This record gives sequence, C-alpha cells and structure tokens, in this order.
Amino acid sequence: MARRYDSRTTIFSPEGRLYQIEYAMEAISHAGTVLGVLAKDGIVLAAEKKVTGKLLDLSGAKEGGYGGSGEKIFLLNSNVITGVAGITADANSLVNYSREAAQRHLYMYNEDIPVEMLAQRLCDLKQGYTQYGGLRPFGVSLLYAGHDVHFNFQLYHSDPSGNYSGWKATSIGANSGTAQSLLKQEYKEDITLEDAISLVLRVMSKTMDSTTLGSEKLEFATLTLDAEKRPKAKIYRPTEIDSLLRKHDLAKKEEDTEMKS
Amino acid sequence: MSIMQHNGGSVIAMVGKDCVAIASDLRLGVQSLSITSDFEKIFPVTDRLFVGLPGLATDVTTLREQFRYRVNMYTIKEEREIEPQTFAQLVSSTLYERRFGPYFIEPVMAGMQKTPAGGYAPFIAATDLIGCLNFAKDFVVAGTASEKLFGVAEGLWEPDLEAEDLFETISQTLLNALDRDAFSGWGAVVHVITKDKVITRKLKGRMD
Amino acid sequence: METAFALTGKGYVLLAADTTAVHSIIKVKTDVDKIKELSPCLLMAYSGEPGDTVQFAEYIERNIRLYHIRNNFPLRPPSAASWIRRSLADSLRSRKPYSVNLLLGGYDTSTYMPHLYWMDYFGTLAEVPFAAHGYGSYFTLSLLDKYHDPEATVEEGIATLKRCIDEVSKRLVVSPARFKVKIVDKDGVREIEL
Repeated sequence: MARRYDSRTTIFSPEGRLYQIEYAMEAISHAGTVLGVLAKDGIVLAAEKKVTGKLLDLSGAKEGGYGGSGEKIFLLNSNVITGVAGITADANSLVNYSREAAQRHLYMYNEDIPVEMLAQRLCDLKQGYTQYGGLRPFGVSLLYAGHDVHFNFQLYHSDPSGNYSGWKATSIGANSGTAQSLLKQEYKEDITLEDAISLVLRVMSKTMDSTTLGSEKLEFATLTLDAEKRPKAKIYRPTEIDSLLRKHDLAKKEEDTEMKS
Repeated sequence: MSIMQHNGGSVIAMVGKDCVAIASDLRLGVQSLSITSDFEKIFPVTDRLFVGLPGLATDVTTLREQFRYRVNMYTIKEEREIEPQTFAQLVSSTLYERRFGPYFIEPVMAGMQKTPAGGYAPFIAATDLIGCLNFAKDFVVAGTASEKLFGVAEGLWEPDLEAEDLFETISQTLLNALDRDAFSGWGAVVHVITKDKVITRKLKGRMD
Repeated sequence: METAFALTGKGYVLLAADTTAVHSIIKVKTDVDKIKELSPCLLMAYSGEPGDTVQFAEYIERNIRLYHIRNNFPLRPPSAASWIRRSLADSLRSRKPYSVNLLLGGYDTSTYMPHLYWMDYFGTLAEVPFAAHGYGSYFTLSLLDKYHDPEATVEEGIATLKRCIDEVSKRLVVSPARFKVKIVDKDGVREIEL
C-alpha cells in the first residue's frame, strides 16, 4: 500500500505520513554521529568520520582550516559552525547555501547573522523540498553552533522536514539515541567549556564503533569568544585533535598506531 | 563641481623595502561643510592587504560592503586568503561591471604579495573609476588632493625605504598635500604593512 | 525652512525637527511630526522632498516593524542604519531616487550604548556625536562644536538643544515656528515638551 505514496515527496500516505521525509531521516540515522554541547562560555561540536582509510588523501585537511576542509564540520560564518549528518553531497550544497545567506545578511545589515535566523533560512529551503513536487528532500540533519548578541551561545538542530529546535546538548546520526541518553545523564547547567570538551569526547568514545579515537575518525570544533568578545570558531586540525585526545587520555596507545616507515 | 569632489578625501600608497604603506585623510564633508573627522576610507581585506576607496562617500560604503561579501566567499570557499594581485582583478571587474553608470571611487590597494619562491613582495595598485588598473613600482595617489600628492611624493619618495622611514615619508607626503587641499584633511590614518605585521597610526595634522 | 538636528549625551540621543509643512511660499501646517518611532529604541528624523519623505519614512518604518515581528527582536541601531543606508543607496541609482535626508538616533539595548547617525539622500552614512540637516545646520553645527558634551545629562543636553533652536530662530531668514523634540534612551522613546 505504502509504495504508491513512496515515490513523491509531496503526497501524504493514507496514514497522513510523508514517506520520503521519513526515508531521508533514515538515511541520517546511518551517518556518522555528530555531537553538540552548549557550555556557558562556548560550544563544542564533534563528529565521527565514516570515510576513512590509509589511501585517503588527507593533505587538504592538514593545511586547510578556514572553512573546515574535513568531511563533517564546516564554518558557515564567523559566528556559526555546523556539523552535518547524512548525504555528504546534499550537505555541501546546504553549507554553501547557508554561507551565501550569512554573507547576504552581513551585506544588508552590516552585522553577523543571528544564529536562529540562519537556521530558519536553511529550514525554509528544506521545507520547500517537502512540498514542491518532483524533487527529493535534502537527506541532511545539521547541528548549528553559534553566537549572537541577542541570545549569546546557541545550539540548534534541523532535520530534512525543515523542523528546527534549540538544545543544550544533542546529537544526530548513528547511535544518536545512546549519545543523547548519555548526555542527558551527564549534562549539568552552567557547564564550562573545558568540562563540555571532556564530556563530548567521553560520549563520542562510547558511541563510536571503533574502540579508540583518533584524528582519522574524529572531527572536532569549538566556538568561543576572543578577548574583544567577538565569536571565534576553531576547527581542530588532525594534529590538534590527536593532542587533545592524548590530553584526555582517550588516544590510541603507541602500539596501535600505524606502522612507522 | 564634479561628483568626485562632493565629499572630499584622498588616499596614497607607497612601496618600501619589504613593506608597503597606505594612508588617507579622515574627513567627510558635503562640499565645503565638514560632517565628521573619523570617516575611514581604508579597509583591511586580509592580514596583509588593504584597500583605500576615495571618492563619493555613499560608494565608499557600498563598495566596501560589496568587496567584503566577495572576499569572504572567496576565503571560505578557497580555504585561503585572497592575494593582492587577485584582489586587484576583483576590484577592476567590479568597477567595470558599472561601465556606463560607474561608482565614483578610485580605489588604491597596498599589500604584500606571495611570490612563487615562498617570500613576499610589495604590491601596490590603483584604478580609475571604471576599473583600469595601474600597477606602480613607487607610489599611487587618488582623491581630491591627488595633484598635490603627486607633487610631494615625487619629491620625497626614494626606493628601498625601511618600514619606519616609509612611515615618515608617506605621513609627510600626505600631511603636506592635505594642507593645500580644502576638501581633504581633518586628521589622517597610516597603515604600514610588512609580511608578518601591520602598524596602524592615526595622525592629527591640522584640524581646521 | 526645514531643519533637523540631534545630539548624544550620557545614555541618550535627543532629536529635534521643525513642524512646518510648506507648499511654495505658504506654510500649510505647523504641527507635523517629522520624527518617526521605528522600534522601541529607535528614532528617525526625516527631511527633504515633500512626498518622498513620508513615502520613504513609512516604507522604512513598516519594514523595521516587519523585522521585529518576524524575529521577535528589533534590528539594533547600527544594523538598522546600515539597512536604511542601503535602501537609499539603491534608490539613488534607480529611475527615480528618493530625496530624503535622515538623522537616526537609537539606543542599543545589547551594548547599552546610544548611537546617532547622519545620513543624506546619497546614502552617505556617518556615526556622529551630533548632527544637523537643512539650512539650520550652518548655525547649529558650530554651536554644537562648542557646547556639545558626550557625558552631559538630559537636562544639560536639552539646554544645548535650546541654544540651537534659539540660534536658528534668530538667524535663519524663514525660521520654523515650532520644533518637536524626542529622546531615546534605555527606557525607550518619548516626546519632550520644551
């Protein structure tokens, strides 16, 4: 029965469901986990990379860093970073759209776009693809970590239907249920950035498939304020992730590392 | 009177030894009436590139915002900062887009350009209001005091000035030219750019 | 003749505008309000071509209000100024530009700072401690150069404002009969009777 209503995004099934959107959400639940935690003095984002391997050329990720040349965490604007889960190609398109939207706002109003407004811009686009015929929805969920003068640090989540909501700590992608219940147990109000970083790493190490964490499987970023109270995004480079993991005692042991040449 | 003289203002850029400098006055006026003495016409593009936009004040703001938009998109997509040479072409094509209804601005750029060898070389350039580029080896001037700036700079500038000497040269050139121009003045700002740092100083000058 | 001026003080901005509507050599009205309240902490005094002024001011007013309704917070004064400037700059290169000069006074509730912007019909924008438009500006700017104090209390600010109004009344050939004065500070906007 359902099949007759599957193929089109815009048609309700007799039970009042939009199957294509549910399938899109299903696609996301297989993607690498993305985790976000809101602290009082910053926000932490971490993401699990799925595309790995010895032969993958990561030289771009080593040297780049303005927009986050990784797979899952991107800089959208000087005050917003995002972690994406789902179809990477769709995500790239959304990331580009939101960068344009943020720059358009800067152009019109001479201020950084408020975080919620950026989430809204993207959700308006995503919603459009659930209603206008012939196209499929974006198979992407995003976590937005941002700062603006109106509501300080904020963390939002948006899904393929175009819904969005604000969170203190949340996760998307594979094992997001486990991650969320762990976060619920361990999250405290007024958590500091340092504690949030260690919380994120701990939860990440428990939910990821692999037993040990390393920069080839993990992306990491923070958003804080600099000395002049301007938002400062830091997307960690592979070497920085490894040293962070060593600091938190979650890194691979020496004998696990790949063979030295 | 020409629309180029409506708000007043002048910019100059000079080449030194492993450094460049760019300086401007701070006046914003409406013909002979002065409105403010803190109207900046020089804007940072990257850590080692500045652009000065003398001319009609509304276009100063418009172009500044337009260049910021395009440079930000370039930076975030390319994952590197724009080079002075590249930016100069962006400025040129942006202005030529409005060939038959131009922005009344004559941009001046100064920065340190990456060389193929891995070092940095001084770079200055200027364009007219429709984007005709002029890459100079010594100095470039623009704005209501441009004739006076040419004269003083011709006399004071010499090759291979060190950063501090270049600062003195560009400051004296600008201040002396401003004194002879009724539409520029009311203080000045000077940026001296080297490969790893920028020194910005505000000059008082004659405040009348 | 049309005159508007404004000055900042400690935590407030004062705006004053004449109240006359002129048609050719005739005064047709003497109680026109030329200072619009754009949002809870933002005032805009406008002057220029009759018709254009009201049309443009209402366009700005409605759009600023729309932003407030959509986002549940108002545009901050610096952002509002930039957006209004862009509207004028775009208009300047359109088929029929608006000839409207503006003074924008606001109080930024997120940084607790008063802001005053001077803007002309070209879309020239400058943040200033005090400003004026119209023929009155030739008298008031020099007065304000001498008497303006950014740390002045509201009473001191009003006293300076009165000096300006008196000077305009005394020296301008066709001086406006009355001025409307409004203030914006942390408590919002209100009118001040002189």
